[in-house]
Amino acid sequence: MVKSLLSMLLAGLLLLGAAVFEGLFVRTQFEAFGEEVSALIQKAEEGTANETDAEAVFSAWEQRRDRLHIWLPHGDIARIDDYLSESVRCLKEGERERALAKLEIVLRISKTLPSTYLVSLPNLF
Amino acid sequence: MALIMVRTAIIFLVLLVIMRLMGKRQIGEMQPFELVITLLISELACIPMADASVPLLYGVVSVVTIFVLHELVTLIDLKGKPFKALLSGKPSVVVNKSGIDAYELKRNRLDVSDLIESLRAAGYFSLDSIDYALYEANGTFSALPKQGYESGQNSLPLVILSSGKFDGKNLKFSGLKQSFFEELLRREGVRQRDVLVLTADGAGKIYLQENGKKYRTLQTAYPGGRSW
Repeated sequence: MVKSLLSMLLAGLLLLGAAVFEGLFVRTQFEAFGEEVSALIQKAEEGTANETDAEAVFSAWEQRRDRLHIWLPHGDIARIDDYLSESVRCLKEGERERALAKLEIVLRISKTLPSTYLVSLPNLF
Repeated sequence: MALIMVRTAIIFLVLLVIMRLMGKRQIGEMQPFELVITLLISELACIPMADASVPLLYGVVSVVTIFVLHELVTLIDLKGKPFKALLSGKPSVVVNKSGIDAYELKRNRLDVSDLIESLRAAGYFSLDSIDYALYEANGTFSALPKQGYESGQNSLPLVILSSGKFDGKNLKFSGLKQSFFEELLRREGVRQRDVLVLTADGAGKIYLQENGKKYRTLQTAYPGGRSW
């Protein structure tokens, strides 16, 4: 009985701890990524964003992406990957308007994605 | 991750309620919650294994959540009597000294033929050879035989009439006509639609039970000295 109670308590605590860590980790990763994308959008709007800025945001995302793969469905990460690489390409080719549209999508995803993993009624059903 | 845990718990509870509502027909030698866990674990482990787009961690979290729920339910099952009945159900006494309890059978989504099948599997071929029969909470069947019941089991009883309907196949096997049993019912003052079960064995022993009444056994001679 004691063993059973202990194992249940331990597993429960482990799950709870992992859930709290996941929530915090995913949120902080996406907050930092959102700030980087916002800065890139601002630069693009001002017309000062260049290939190097876009590449820097993309390589920072690549590092985050590898860590996020443990916690998030890979399809969600692939969506950001696709839009971000498209916007990098647009900035390289000087298509500022198209790059901005893609970056807005990336920003929107980075803001909404963490909340889709929270325990809430719409997410449950 | 917390979302996966809550979703797993919801699916677990829904399946458990459904299994309990389905009655004992759906389970065999497992408590309802054990069956639910068996059903869930294989699927939960398989999905992240086969689908590379789902993080492996999701499968691990679901399985560990199931483990916690299992331990919790086992604890409740052992410690709390009212919860035990709620989670695992209670044994159902389907045959007593008055005969078959049709209400208990219906409550467990079973009919007379299911009961007779269980009886035969347990080694009792005649309904009047037992005093009590019950389906345990885990779906297994137990029966308490009458003293010296073996002496009465020398011929195979056939279900001739069940829930007011004649069994054509058994009638054919017995070689007797429907009119013979209709006449027998008339003599006994029983309407066909009121019959819960009527069995006849090869030696002329009839087991007759009307809905809501105690069973009776009759000894009769078949036309032309027929036996089986």
